[in-house]
Amino acid sequence: MRITTLVVLFAAIFASSLNAQKINYTAVTIADSIKNNANAVIRLNQLDISIASQRSMNIKTKRVVTVLNELGLKAVDAVENFDKRRTVKNIEAVVYDNFGIEIKKIKRKDFKEQSASGGSTLFSDGRFIYLEYTPTQYPFTIVYESEIETSNTAFIPTWSLLSEYNVSIEKSIVNVNVPQALGFRKKEFNFANFKIKTIVDSPTQLQYEALNIIAEKYEDYTPAAKVFPRVMMGLENFNLEGVDGTAKNWKEYGKWFSENILIGTTSLSEEAKAKIKALVGTETDPIKKAKIVYKFVQEKSRYVSVQVGIGGFKPMLASDVDRLGYGDCKALSNYTRALLEVVGVPSYYTELYGDRDIRNIEADFFSIQGNHAILCIPNADESIFLECTSQDDPFGFQANFTDDRDVVVMKPEGGEIIHTKKYHDNANGQISTGNYSLDAQGNLTGAIKIVSTGSQYQSKASIEKMQPADKDIHYKRYWTNINNLKIAKIELQNDKDKIHFVENISLSAENYAPNTGGKMMVAINSYNQFLGTIKRIRNRKNPFEIPRGYLDTDEIAVALPAGFQIEFLPANFELKTKFGDYKTEIIKKDNNNLVYKRTILIKKGIYANSDYDGYRLFMEQIAKNDNAKLLLTKI
Amino acid sequence: MIKNWFVVLLACIGLQLNAQDLELGKVSIDELKVKQHPKDSSAVAAIIFNRAKTTFKYNLKDGFSIGTEFQVRVKIYKKEGLNWATFKVPFYIGYEDRNDESVQFSDAVTYNLVNGVIEKSKLKSEGSFVTKVNEYWKEASITLPNVKVGSIIEFKYFLKSENIIKFPSFYFQYEIPVNFAQFTTAIPGFFVYKALVSGFAPIKTAQKVSGGSFSFPSRYDRTRTDFVNFQQVISTYSAENIPALKPEPFVDNLQNYRACLKHELEKTQFYQEPEKDYASTWEGVSTSIFEDKNFGKQLDFGLFFLDDVKEIIKNDTNTPLSSEEKMNRIFTYVQQRMNWNHENGYYTDKGVKDAYSSRAGNSAEINFILINMLRIAGVDANPVLVSTLDHGVPVYPNRTGFNYVIASATIEGKNVLLDATNKYTSPDILPLKLLNWQGRLIRKDGSSEEINLVPKQPSSINHNLFAKINSTGKIEGKFKVYHTATEAFLFRENQANQDQNTYLERLENKWNGLEITGYGTEENKTISSQAISEKFDFSTVNHCEIIAGKLYVNPMLFLTSAINPFVQENREMPIYFAYPKNRKYNFNIEIPAGYAVESSPKPIKISTQGNEVVFSMNSTVVGNTIQMIVSEEIKGALFKAEFYPELKTFYQNVINKQNEKIILSKI
Repeated sequence: MRITTLVVLFAAIFASSLNAQKINYTAVTIADSIKNNANAVIRLNQLDISIASQRSMNIKTKRVVTVLNELGLKAVDAVENFDKRRTVKNIEAVVYDNFGIEIKKIKRKDFKEQSASGGSTLFSDGRFIYLEYTPTQYPFTIVYESEIETSNTAFIPTWSLLSEYNVSIEKSIVNVNVPQALGFRKKEFNFANFKIKTIVDSPTQLQYEALNIIAEKYEDYTPAAKVFPRVMMGLENFNLEGVDGTAKNWKEYGKWFSENILIGTTSLSEEAKAKIKALVGTETDPIKKAKIVYKFVQEKSRYVSVQVGIGGFKPMLASDVDRLGYGDCKALSNYTRALLEVVGVPSYYTELYGDRDIRNIEADFFSIQGNHAILCIPNADESIFLECTSQDDPFGFQANFTDDRDVVVMKPEGGEIIHTKKYHDNANGQISTGNYSLDAQGNLTGAIKIVSTGSQYQSKASIEKMQPADKDIHYKRYWTNINNLKIAKIELQNDKDKIHFVENISLSAENYAPNTGGKMMVAINSYNQFLGTIKRIRNRKNPFEIPRGYLDTDEIAVALPAGFQIEFLPANFELKTKFGDYKTEIIKKDNNNLVYKRTILIKKGIYANSDYDGYRLFMEQIAKNDNAKLLLTKI
Repeated sequence: MIKNWFVVLLACIGLQLNAQDLELGKVSIDELKVKQHPKDSSAVAAIIFNRAKTTFKYNLKDGFSIGTEFQVRVKIYKKEGLNWATFKVPFYIGYEDRNDESVQFSDAVTYNLVNGVIEKSKLKSEGSFVTKVNEYWKEASITLPNVKVGSIIEFKYFLKSENIIKFPSFYFQYEIPVNFAQFTTAIPGFFVYKALVSGFAPIKTAQKVSGGSFSFPSRYDRTRTDFVNFQQVISTYSAENIPALKPEPFVDNLQNYRACLKHELEKTQFYQEPEKDYASTWEGVSTSIFEDKNFGKQLDFGLFFLDDVKEIIKNDTNTPLSSEEKMNRIFTYVQQRMNWNHENGYYTDKGVKDAYSSRAGNSAEINFILINMLRIAGVDANPVLVSTLDHGVPVYPNRTGFNYVIASATIEGKNVLLDATNKYTSPDILPLKLLNWQGRLIRKDGSSEEINLVPKQPSSINHNLFAKINSTGKIEGKFKVYHTATEAFLFRENQANQDQNTYLERLENKWNGLEITGYGTEENKTISSQAISEKFDFSTVNHCEIIAGKLYVNPMLFLTSAINPFVQENREMPIYFAYPKNRKYNFNIEIPAGYAVESSPKPIKISTQGNEVVFSMNSTVVGNTIQMIVSEEIKGALFKAEFYPELKTFYQNVINKQNEKIILSKI
């Protein structure tokens, strides 16, 4: 074992010294095959991570990038963040022209520095230092080198290939050295389809090498995290913002987190306790109690993010949140937990990766992976999760940000991976019932009631908060297929108990059905046309994902103008595919009255690249049939 | 002297203020009880008052400073208004020869009504932050405690600056309604500022002259205090019930319409010193800008470029190069050699020589290189100060109204505008960000002239299409599009910013599943020096409907506009189209054998009353071919808000017309 490691190590040193001579920074010699689809070519990306102890990690980066055109500029990625516990020991760059002749040296003082505050973060002590270089020619090659020193060994950077589209890689190396006692672990993702060589994989060293990886083109709906290779790394004995920790798995992490980070954060003043107790009164049902507390938090607090040191991990004291009325996700979740504790409802602080894309906390691999905190309330069949940063979300609502994923719940006896609520295709509903009538000029008058649930509730709920003029514009954009649209009445109801969003809209439109030479063409589906198109992608390479399905049903009564007769009625239409089902039906009540019925079910799933054209065709046929026309002739 | 104090634009009206309710700390139960804004029920929050007072101070060490105290009271009506409980003020720290600016918040309090009693929560240090944004800016911010729907918050802050040229701006208008706003300035007689008002809110002004004095320790004897007595003008600008500023589409820059008061330093006059003119006239503006070492001197480096210019305008023929030819060659050379570092500005940073050798520079460096080279080649050229769209509009003689400089070459008595910072511009074709009102051409002798930046000639996109429809509704054909002038510039810039596949995928998507093959572009020097065309073959099954055995086709096929860009019912701000433009469509559509044209859209001409926008459609059927000729013209760049209803109706009629069908039936 020892000998092989040594041999490999020697080989690696030998190889790299050989490379040092061989690397020539001219862009001329790059193989055409690797320039295919590429705006930039990473000639070398070498990441050397050496962990000296539980409280000391050194990260050296050397990246040689040939930028072929303006679009490839961001592949240079010469930026480092730093704070009190993370210092940039070295950062510099040298620029070479097309023939490998040096044209500019950029020293540390020429890099720009900026605060990480901004956006939704009011204050952060984090800063970053970055290169601002104006290229004077293409192609050019930049050699970027940096060295970072940090005590935060809980965050070993993830090694990911192909984190950008249209960038090829000639060579990428990662090399990690770590004392055996720290318990280094790693998890590989999506290696199968890529040529990645494991050079060393021992308890004290990990080294990979990837050669000649051709640029990936962006393709819609690619679940990038499930396709492109990366390696997550972690230590059993780590340091997180100045606090030593030990954990082999989520269970141990949860226990450590409860005992070291969460401890002592939930005490509240007697006054605050009395207040919440009074609010809950004689209620005994834990879920009903939780609802009262959640409503109280929503009314009392607002989201303000202040990130200083351990504050990036440790929630602000509940008593401070109580006094100030604001906090970030950690603070507000923990404050809610403190209040629930007072009224005897158990709840658990929960870490997860919050995003519209679904991303799990890796159940079988512990490392710091989350970016968000929510609160878990145990319940008989399915735990309830509360988003405490929202002043509006219904109790337990999770769609589109924290739903359907593995999260780590910090129970005092240890962390536990729990899967959050999954919104099934049928649960993301939109039920429309309504009517419209046409007059002899083709003018439309109608009314519709739309009830949305699940992820569709989430997409709609923000309409309620719009200014009146913006609501008007929202509906005109929503029904772009209806020309000359005038919105007469907007009545919205946000039923947070049932989690239904109800829209009652009355509208009219002049000349909806153009009347040409005594004939009137009516697009019968006026209220719910699928207007999108699914992009044609030539030779799709990667699978695609529909992260959330949905179900729409429409039933619309249509009154035709007097003095016209139906010359043509579109046929009923039905499609059944692996991606979903679609059905439309027109029922003729009498000469002037029709009922239009439509259902569309789109199924959540990951589909093979070869299925993409089928999916596109499916949606195209829907778009076409949604625009089916009825023809009326003047009698 | 005194008459200078009166601002021409503002009427002087005596104002009686009910100042009692407008003091910090005097929040009433009634104010806390109010559930919605009396004039705007949709308001998420409102500024009950925003009062500021600017005064001058003097000390021996640092000289003059400007201090402004703002006092603000805000009422929160809805949850969406809670972000008004966080307030940020950026301030400048990048001076080389002055102390940093500073911002100090104080007296920040939240008021809530709890069981009928007013509860005060004071801001402590934990809610107050200063962020160093970068080497030039810091930002002071506060977030108030205990803010809920219904709360009232108050705070004041003091902004101090030693830069007397940059007088603080005062905003009367915000994204929420402002009930009362008042700005008071006390300006000692040594300084003359011009007050510049923008926006639509009616602002009342009152002025009076009073005595003022500065005291400071004597220069010679520290135990004594010296005094300077002077006359000062106290001006009060106030406005009431200013509605919320709401964004609208087709606006050049929303900030141009925000009610705001700015001050521009015109001159200074100190005891026993000559009057110093900063900017009261265009002459003053030109002179003071030219005097700066990063402007005038940088235009005197012609000789430095002489060798290179000789090479560029080397002439192998017998006929001498025309001025225009010289200009074109030099422009192209500078455009290709130089790379813009994305910094605006009309002063050089590292200087033209350094920029030239490093091949990169800011807008002043690149365009000054151009001016130097043109001049040494014998082409008359001058700088033109301009303001980018995001910087607002320059209206009166002032320096701060501009933030960018381009070049103007005089060719046969005409000004040709040049901006060499962009790789895709050409003579007289400027980037869109510069199509913003007027620029100012300035000369060393102080003379200047107004330069219209918006092109007079329209830019066009002409579409030529030959298509064949078959009896299954499939349409195939050839398509060629010509772009000229600004349209050609935009097309080139757009092409450079994406790869061709992405572009084609977007086109196919935008045109509802059209399939594109054989795509190519071509320079078209014969049409105009800047024209460029693209052509491709297409096929589609999505643009013809078969209903009851008849074929229905939109006359403009996939180029039919379906959506009126103007959907809002009311309009506050002028409508901005950037530059005059026209679109022409010349379509030849062959119908399938065995079919005849049952009906096709009747010829029509639609226009607004003053012919500002014009649309026409003509169709003729010759044998088995339908020929469609469509034209759409927008003759101006900026239209008044009052024009909106007419414009909206115009577009509606155009869209209705475009959506009439060609009907083909079997013979």
